[in-house]
Order: sequence, then structure tokens, then C-alpha cells
Amino acid sequence: MSGPVPKEQLRQAYEARLRLLVPADVAELARLPLIQLIPEKIRPNVIGKIQKYTHFLDFAPGQAVVSAGEWSDSVYAIVRGAAVVLEPAQEAPWKAVMRGAPPPGPAPTSRPAPPRVQTLGVGDLFGDRSALSRFPVAATVSAWTPLRVLRVRLPALRMLTAVAPELKKRLDQRYREETLAHQLRRVGLFAEVDEAALQRLRERAKLLAFSPGQIVAREGTLADSFYMVRGGYLKVSVDVGGADLAVTYLRPGDFAGETAILLDERWPFTLQAVEHAELVRLEHEDMVAAVGDKPRLKDRLWDEALARLKTRGVVARNPVASEYLQMALETGLVHGESVLLIDLSTCTRCDDCVQACADTHGGQPVFIREGKRYRNWLVPTACYQCTDPVCLVDCPTGAIRREVSTLEVTIDAPTCIGCSNCATRCPWNNIVMVETGSVRKDGKPEEVAVKCDLCHGRAEGPACVSACPHGSAVRISFKDMAAVRSVLR
Amino acid sequence: MRIAAALRPKQPRVFLASLGVLVLLAAAHAIGLARGRFDPGRGLGLAFGILAAAGYVFAAAYPWRRRAARLAPARFWTQAHVYVGGLAVAAALLHSGFVWPHGLVDTALLLLSGWTTFTGFLGVWLQKGIPARLTEGLRVEVLLERIPELRARVVAAADACIAGAGDVLRRHYRQELRPRLERPHPALSYLIEVRAGRDRALEPLRRLASFVAAPDKARIDDLIGLHIEKLELDAHLTLQRLLRGWLVLHAPPAAVLLGLLAFHVFSALWY
Repeated sequence: MSGPVPKEQLRQAYEARLRLLVPADVAELARLPLIQLIPEKIRPNVIGKIQKYTHFLDFAPGQAVVSAGEWSDSVYAIVRGAAVVLEPAQEAPWKAVMRGAPPPGPAPTSRPAPPRVQTLGVGDLFGDRSALSRFPVAATVSAWTPLRVLRVRLPALRMLTAVAPELKKRLDQRYREETLAHQLRRVGLFAEVDEAALQRLRERAKLLAFSPGQIVAREGTLADSFYMVRGGYLKVSVDVGGADLAVTYLRPGDFAGETAILLDERWPFTLQAVEHAELVRLEHEDMVAAVGDKPRLKDRLWDEALARLKTRGVVARNPVASEYLQMALETGLVHGESVLLIDLSTCTRCDDCVQACADTHGGQPVFIREGKRYRNWLVPTACYQCTDPVCLVDCPTGAIRREVSTLEVTIDAPTCIGCSNCATRCPWNNIVMVETGSVRKDGKPEEVAVKCDLCHGRAEGPACVSACPHGSAVRISFKDMAAVRSVLR
Repeated sequence: MRIAAALRPKQPRVFLASLGVLVLLAAAHAIGLARGRFDPGRGLGLAFGILAAAGYVFAAAYPWRRRAARLAPARFWTQAHVYVGGLAVAAALLHSGFVWPHGLVDTALLLLSGWTTFTGFLGVWLQKGIPARLTEGLRVEVLLERIPELRARVVAAADACIAGAGDVLRRHYRQELRPRLERPHPALSYLIEVRAGRDRALEPLRRLASFVAAPDKARIDDLIGLHIEKLELDAHLTLQRLLRGWLVLHAPPAAVLLGLLAFHVFSALWY
């Protein structure tokens, strides 16, 4: 196994890449088939808007464009050359082929390809599903020959799909063929549906995009559609005495409407997009055709309807909990897997939490006991451990990462080159750049990014919580609303 | 501050268990007295003494609670410190047989025990009452170390607000208000009411509004807001200092108490 790469080398490689990450040239952009999909009349205007979110990147044979497990916010279009898509199990044999391969030839067929890999050529797209659904990249895509790609970031991708129906159709078709059936199966309702019915649902599903604040379904109107969240967040709220009370929220993979349309009810709540949201919609007749004849289903649906009524009653009796959920939606706390809150009505401001944090992290505390205040709760400046950690995107060295099936987003200090991409990307300013005391070769002070990592590896868990002498520091996840209501009373 | 509300135990079961232990100790003392002459250096009297000493040592180990984090979180050790410390004083009184001690060291031990217990309960009262008052009564939440910086920002904002104001308002600001904004004014009255003195402090500005033109009336509203912010910073300064400062009354005497206890144990064993 090779040793760690020297930090200076990592920094130079990053700065070399940085010089290439300039916005794409307008003339070169305009020639691309992808851009040609935009109607000619509005093409110059659209190019002007998307230019700053697009970059041409070059990769040598064997270099990975995206790696399995990483977070990405971009779709890639191949401009020149060829690439291979590798499932994780195929990566090692692939690397062996590349090590023994002759110098790159003019065409992919000049060398034997490893078995069972998918190859991509000029005009092909990849990365769209992880960008739109905000899931980790499923497979590594590496250059097979000298490769030039156009990288299109999410804001530009949204603009393109809005103005280029052909592109939207193409991306939707890929999602429909490769991902939708798997996601529908994960909905309990469709677990027993046969393949033919699932195929029909897949073909007839509508793939929709909603802007922040847009109403998806309004309480009291006829429920004629089932919605599944593909990307983004939806707020679920009820009208209680004229007040709009947030009940819960829906994340990618969550769904709504099955009870209402199968029991012929009206929408019992309002669904509203909190941020850009991509949804899958199934119409009433398709739902009934797929699941309407299942005997035990209606009993289950009635149970769910009753449970929802109870939840609505709880919210009506305790509107404060709804206020906290509303606050969490507005401030982004719903994104967090583990959010630190401090009860100011019992906190003696002793700073034992900060001291314990510093003791655990080599003398440098990684959170600040300052932040927004809601009623008696303080939300300190501490990493939320987001479900969709956007800070991971664009880390040039992989220093900031989340291991598969773990909660903590950690930063490996020896690998961090202090580029501050993560700190810039964090929407909540929870990542801080601190000086290490050393000086770089260019004379600038060396910095590293620091953030809360839940005291990863500490047997007692987060030091801030265990060190609080009054139990004022708590960690909660807004995924469990019952727990939230019991804590935030 | 409502004393009863402030002293309400966080863990009622622990409180009741401690009361139970106290009753048991008292019962044991009563039984011992009924059986014969009480001697602090022997039998039951000595047992109470050993209990008291062990309790004092345990309570004094509180600063090392972080090293015991693997055993229990800090809030457990805080509760234990309060209840074990309280029971230790009760055991010390039972050990003395409720007789005033002879000798300087024993007298000092008793007095320091009383003082440490009194300041300990004072600390409990402050730590329960002040956070609730700060949170319920004040809009701002600040770190103690940042108060000077925030006060300077209030002054800067007030200076910017007063630019272009009429003579009357400018003179009042220069002579009356700015000196009050610049300097901290902690006051123990904040311990009773976190908004103490607010109306009196704002009265001159409010009265001035009757004598100025419309643009200056708006400036006065802004200055009132800034003055309120500054008053809240003063309340935070007073109360957060109290939350940290009361330890000066408790910890050093407790350290002396521990030293005297060691001397007392040594002399009891040696002689």
C-alpha cells in the first residue's frame, strides 16, 4: 500500500486543476450537441446564464472523472474521447488493465477492454441521477482514452431542463429506465405489485420539478395524484384556525397521497416545496389499477389515515412543536442527521461544552456557542451532519468525507490543503478555516478546515453533550418528529 | 427570583432518595443516643465522621469529573456533588453530636462546612434561576467575552444614527446618552429583575420626543432600541459574571476545608 501523498503535492495538483476550472468558452459551448437542444431563439441568452456553471475538463486515460460513493452536483457530457463505467467490484481489475495497457491508441478497440463494463462515447451523459437526487455516485466513471468532458453544475442543469424539452426527456428516460422501478419497489404499497404493473407505472409516471415555495398539493382539494420525492424537500402543513402549522416534511424517498386517492379523500394537508424539488407523480387511475384490488391494503390505509388524524390533533394541541418544525425548515436544520441544540433556560454559560470540545480536538474547539435563537433554544454554529452534505462536493483531496453507512462527516487534517471549498459551500457557515501555525512554501499561513465530527471514535459520544453539567446540550435529528416534540417542549 | 421555582429539583427521585438517606442517618443517630453516651471518636460517632470525610473528598473531586466521563456524563457528577456534599455536612453534624467543638481546628472545620454548604446552595439557586431569567426576560443572547465588542457596536450604531440630527437631540446624546452607552453598568438589581431600571433609563429619551421634529422622532425610536440592547448587555454582564463569580465564595473555602479535614483525620489517628 502506498503512503500518504505529501500535502504540497496535493495542493499543487489542486491549483493546477483550479486553473482549468474556468467557465466554459461561449463559442465552444454553442457548438456542443447538448447546447444545440436549446431553442435557437433563446440559446444565446441561456448560454450567457449557464456559462459560469459549466467547465471543460480533460482527463488522461485511467483518471477517474467521478468515483463511486462521492457526492456530486454535476452532470457530465462527453465532448471527445471515451469513458468506462465501473461498478465498485470492477474497479480493481480495471486498474490492473490500465497499468498493463499499451500507450493510448486512437480508438477504444485498440486495446482489449475488461469484461462487463459499460463504455460511453461522444454525446453521452453521466452523473445526472446523483446530481438531481442528491444521492452518492453509484459507479466510477474513468477515462478510457484522452477524455474531454463538459461539466454542468446543478443550477445550469435545472435551467437547461427547463428550456430544452429534449434534454429533459432524455434525462427522465434514463431515470425511468434505470432507477424509478427500484425506488417504487421501496414504497411498501408497491412491494407486492407484479412486474407488468410496475412497468406500467414506470412508463406512465410523470417527472416534475418544483421551485422553492411552490405548492404541490393544497389541503382540501381533491387528491388525484400520488407523489414520491426524488430530490429536495417538501413541507407538510395543516391549516389550524387560520394558522399554517408545519406537521412534518418529506425527504428523498418519502411519498404522500396514497391514502387519500385510494380512499377517495381530499388532501388532508398542504404539500409545499421547501427548496428545488424533483417529484414523481402517479395519477389516480394508475394507482387504482396497480394496487386497488389488494385485499389487505384498505385496512392498512385506514390505519394510516387515523394515524395522520392523530398527528394533526397533536400539532393542533401543541402548535409550538409546529413552530420548531417551521424554524427547522427555514433554517435548514431538517437537513441535519445530528443537530446540536442548547437549552438556554438551563445553560449556565459555563463553556464546559466548548472546553470539552477543545480537549477532544487537540485544543481547537470545532463549534462556537453562538448562533440563532428560537424561544429558549440556541442553535450553535456546529455542523448538522447533513443527510446531503454539499460540503463534500468539490473537495480536491477527499479530506472531507463520510464513510458509507456512518453519520459523521469528518475532515482528515493531514490531507486537507486549506482550499476552503467546503467552508464556502456549507450553507450554514458551520465549517471554519483555522491557521495551523505553519507557513506554506508561498509564504501564506497554512490553514485547515475544522468542523464538528461528533467526536468520531470517542466511546462516550459527543464531548459537548457529555460534558454539560446541567444536561442543557442535546443532539436531535428532525427525522424523528415525535422525539423532536418531546425534547423541544 | 422565585425561590421555590429556582430550587425545584431536576431529578425528584434523587432528591427523595437523598432525603431518605438523611432520615436514615438521623434515625441511626437517635438510636445510638438512646443506647448510651455518644462519642465522636468511637462507634456510631466515628462512623458518621468517616462518612462525612468520604463525602467531602468525593465532593472535592468534582473538578476531575471529565476524567470520569467514561463512567457517567457530567450532569450525573453535578447531581452527585450537590447531594453527596449536602449529606456529608449532615453526617459531619451528626459526628459532632450537635455539640459546639473545642479547639480552633474543629471550630474552623465546622464553620467552613457551614459556609461551603451555604455557598453551595447559593450556587444551586443562582444556576437554576439566572439562566431562566436571562432567557425569558431578554431578547439578546451573548457570550460574556464578546460583550465589550458588542457594546462598541451599539455605540457605533448610535453615532451613525445621530448624524444629521437636530441640536437638541445631538446635545442630549453627547451629554447624557453616549456616556451611558459607552461604559458598562452592571447592577445587582438585575438579579431581582432582568429589566430593572429600564423604564427609568429610557424616560429622558421618550420625553425628548415631544420636543423634536419628525425625523428626530424616528431617530429617537432607533436610539431607544439601541439603549435597550445596551441595557440587556449590562444585564448579561452582571448575571453571567455572577454565574462564574460565585465560585470564588465556594471553591477556595472548600479547599481550605479539605486541608483542615486532612489535619483533623491525621491528628485523630495520631493522637
